Amino acid sequence: MSKAVSEFMEAVKARNAGEAEFHQAVEEVVESLIPVLDKHPEFRTARILDRMVEPERTILFRVPWMDDNGKVQVNRGMRVEFNSAIGPYKGGLRFHPSVNLGIIKFLGFEQVFKNALTTLPMGGGKGGSYFDPKGKSDNEVMRFCQSFMSELFRHIGANNDVPAGDIGVGGREIGFLFGQYKKLKNVFEGVLTGKGINWGGSLIRPEATGYGCVYFAKEALQTRGESFKGKRVVISGSGNVAQYAAEKVIELGGSPLTLSDSSGFIVDEAGIDREKLDFVMNLKNVKRGRIKEYADKFSGAAYHATDANADHNPIWDVKCDVALPSATQNEINEVDASNLVKNGCLCVAEGANMPTTPDGVNVFLESKILYGPGKAANAGGVAVSGLEMTQNSMRLSWSREEVDAKLHDIMISIHKTCAETAEAYGTPGNYVNGANIAGFLKVANAMMDQGLV
Amino acid sequence: MSDALDAFMGHVAEKHGGEREFLQAVGDVMSSVIPVIDRHPQYRKAAILERVVEPERVVMFRVPWMDDQGVPQVSRGFRVQFNSALGPYKGGLRFHRSVNLSIMKFLGFTQIFKNALTTLPMGGGKGGSDFSVRGKSDGEINRFCRSFMTELFRHIGPDTDVPAGDVGVGGREIGYLFGQYKRLTNRFEGVLTGKGLDWGGSLVRKEAAGYGTVYFACEMLAAGGHDFKGKTVAISGYGNLGFHALQKLNQLGAKVVTIADEEGFIYEPDGISGEKERYVQDLWSVHRKNLEAYAEKYAVEVKPGRPWNVPCDVAIPTAAENEIDEDDAKALVENGCRLVVEGSNMPCTREAIGVFHEKGVPFGPGKAANAGGVAVSGLEMTQNSSRISWSRDEVDHRLREIMSRIHTACLETAERYGAKNDYLAGANIAGFLRVADAMLQQGIV
Repeated sequence: MSKAVSEFMEAVKARNAGEAEFHQAVEEVVESLIPVLDKHPEFRTARILDRMVEPERTILFRVPWMDDNGKVQVNRGMRVEFNSAIGPYKGGLRFHPSVNLGIIKFLGFEQVFKNALTTLPMGGGKGGSYFDPKGKSDNEVMRFCQSFMSELFRHIGANNDVPAGDIGVGGREIGFLFGQYKKLKNVFEGVLTGKGINWGGSLIRPEATGYGCVYFAKEALQTRGESFKGKRVVISGSGNVAQYAAEKVIELGGSPLTLSDSSGFIVDEAGIDREKLDFVMNLKNVKRGRIKEYADKFSGAAYHATDANADHNPIWDVKCDVALPSATQNEINEVDASNLVKNGCLCVAEGANMPTTPDGVNVFLESKILYGPGKAANAGGVAVSGLEMTQNSMRLSWSREEVDAKLHDIMISIHKTCAETAEAYGTPGNYVNGANIAGFLKVANAMMDQGLV
Repeated sequence: MSDALDAFMGHVAEKHGGEREFLQAVGDVMSSVIPVIDRHPQYRKAAILERVVEPERVVMFRVPWMDDQGVPQVSRGFRVQFNSALGPYKGGLRFHRSVNLSIMKFLGFTQIFKNALTTLPMGGGKGGSDFSVRGKSDGEINRFCRSFMTELFRHIGPDTDVPAGDVGVGGREIGYLFGQYKRLTNRFEGVLTGKGLDWGGSLVRKEAAGYGTVYFACEMLAAGGHDFKGKTVAISGYGNLGFHALQKLNQLGAKVVTIADEEGFIYEPDGISGEKERYVQDLWSVHRKNLEAYAEKYAVEVKPGRPWNVPCDVAIPTAAENEIDEDDAKALVENGCRLVVEGSNMPCTREAIGVFHEKGVPFGPGKAANAGGVAVSGLEMTQNSSRISWSRDEVDHRLREIMSRIHTACLETAERYGAKNDYLAGANIAGFLRVADAMLQQGIV
C-alpha cells in the first residue's frame, strides 16, 4: 500500500472507529484512485476524496413495534444518505440481524459508484434495520414496516431519496412500506422501487440483474471477437439472477451447464435448454425444492453435493468458456479462480455481489481473462430501478421490450465506460480499475461543479 | 449490581457496543431506577426501559467549510434527538475535538432527566461537532456555523428541537447559527436559546446556573431548619457559574471563604465580598487573569491543592469533573461541612458521594442542583413563544420557584421510594417517572 493510501486510511479509521466493512470498502476503491488523483490535482485541492468518504447525512431512529404476543419490541432503523452529487440518494433497505452502521455505510459507499456507472441520475444510499423478518408473521412484518416508515417518511421522497429492497426486503415489505408512506404523506409517488406491477413497478425488474450480467459478458466477449454462440457457460446459484442469466444465455445461443443451491450443484453436459429451465423455475419459485431434483428428472445430468471441508468448489472445475457466479459472496477463491483459468475460461462476469475473494480477483487480473466485477456486471438491477423511477415520474409504464432494450443499452454503455477508462488510465482490459475510476470521476466532477456543500 | 440491572445493562451494551460514556450514563440512572421499577409493572409491560435508552432519532451529517487558507475542511455534525415525551427536544451543542456519537448520546440521555426535573415542557437532546473552535479565526467559525446550520435547520424548530450552547458554543456561535437558520427558513423564532438580549435572549440566563444552585442549597438548608445567614461556604471555580454562586451567597448573608483554579486556591477567612466580589467578577471574564492577580492585589497567597481542607459549613464545587474525591470528602466532613451541593457537572466522584451518604451529610447532585441553567433556557423559550421579555425580577422569581419544585420532587420521591434524604436517588427516580408516565400515555411510538 502506498504512503498516500495508508495515511488516508489511518484518518478514515480514526474517524469511523470499529466500522471494519466500511474501512475495507474505502480502501479497495482508494487504491484504484491514486493514478487518478495524480492526473487530477484539482481533486486533491478540493479534497474530494475526504468529502466523499463522509456520508452527507446519516439518520438512526427508534423503531418500536408490538409482536403477536402483545410484547413491545424495539429495533433501530438506519438510513445513510451518502452522496447526492448526481441524483437523489438511491439504494436498498436491508432487514437482517447482521445490520449495523459499518455495514450500511459500506454498502452505501459502494452504491455511490455502482449507481454512477449506470449513466442514470442516481446518488448513493443504503438503509435498513437489524430486524429479522425470518420467523415473523405477516402482521408482525407489517407492523414493523409501518413503524419503520413512520420515521423514514420525513427523510425520503421521489426527488430526494428513493430506497429499494435488499436482503429481507422483498415485494411484501416494499408494499407495506409504500402503503404507510402514502398514508402519512397522502402522496402517490415513486418513493420506493421494486413495487408491485399494478402500483408502479416496472417490467423486467426480476430479470434485470441476470439479463444485465449476460449483456455485459456479451460486450466483453466481443472485444475479443467472440460471442455466446456455442459457448459452454457455468452458472452458480438458482435464484432470480441465475435463472434469468441462464434464460438470456440460451437466447443468445450459449449453453448453460450448471446451476447450484446451498446443498450442491448439477452439471448437464447436454446443456440446460428452455424446457429444462422451465422445470427449474417451477422447482425453485413455486415448489421451493432443491436443485438435486434436476438430476433425478433429467438423466444426462449429474448432482454433486457441497463438501464444506473442501478447499475449493468443484463447480468451478467444470470446463467452460464463460463463468457467471450468481449465488453468494466469496464463492470463488484462489483455487477456484486458478481452475477456471487452467480450463480455458475466457470470461467471468459477476451476477452476485463480491462472489470472488480478493485473491481470486488477482488470479483473474494476472491471467488477463475478461473479468467483469459485480459493481459493473450486476448493475442491471439498480439500472432497472432507475428506469422504474423514470416511468413513475412520467406516469407511464413501458413494455417489456422497451425496458429490456434500455437495459441492454445501459449495459453496453457501462462496459464501454469501464473499458475506455481502464485504457485511459494505463490498465487496458482491467474492468475493476475501469469501474472504480469511471464511477469516481463522474461523482467527483459533479461535486467539483456544485461547490463546497 | 443487582441481577436485573446486570441483565438490562448487558442488553444495552449489546446494542450500543463500544459506547463507553453512554453505557456509564445509562448505568448511573438505571441503578436508581431498576430497584424500584417493580412497583410499576406497567413500565415493564410497555418496554419503557428498552425504549428510553434508544434515541428517537440521531442525525449525523457532513459539514464542509473552507479555512482561511482556502483549504476545504470536513467535520462531522451530530444531533441526538433522544426523547420528546415531555416537550420539544432540548439540549446544548458542543463543538470540541472530543465529540463523538457516544459522548453525544451520554449527554443527551442525562439531559432527558434533568429537563424533566425542571417541570418545564422540554424533552432531551444534544448535538455538536468534532470541530474545535480553539485557534480558529472569527471568519472560520462563522463559515463553520453556517455550514453546520445548513443541514441542521431541517431537523429543528421552536416546537421540534431547540438547541442551546455548551462547550465551544457561546453567544458568538449561537448568533452565527441563529442568523443562518433565519436566512434559510425566513423565520424569526425561538429555535435556539442563549441568544443575545437584543434578539430574543432572556435576562438572568447568565446567572441562572449559579443562582439556581444556591437556591437549591437554600431549600436543602431550609429542610433542616437552617438558612445561609452567617454560614461559611467553600466554592471552587470562579467562572460564570462560580461567580454567580458567590454573588448570590453574599446577597443571602453567607461568607464565601475560597475560590480556586487549576493552580491552587485562595483562602479568605473573612469572606470574599464587596470590592473583592466585584474584582472576582472581572478577573477572568474581563481581564483574563487568574488567581495570582487576586493574590497580588489583596496580599494573600495562592495555596496549592484544592480548597476542601478549609473549615466550612457548606461546600459548593463549581469547577471541574471529579474535583472532590474520597479524601477531599472525608476532609470536608471532618472540618464540619454539613452540606454539599454540586454546581458543576459531576464534580464529586462516586466514592466521595459514598462518604457523604455514610456520614449523613446531605448531598445535592448536579443534575438537580444546577438545572437552573436549562430552566432559564426553558423560560427563554416561553418568552419567545409569547413574544414578550420578562424583567430580571420576574425571571429570577420563576427560577427560584422552579428550584424549589425540583427540591421538593427530589425529596418526596426519595422518601416515597425508601431512600429518605437521598437526593441523588430522588432526582434519578423523579426525572425518570415523569418521562416514563408520559411515554406510557402516548403509546408505542
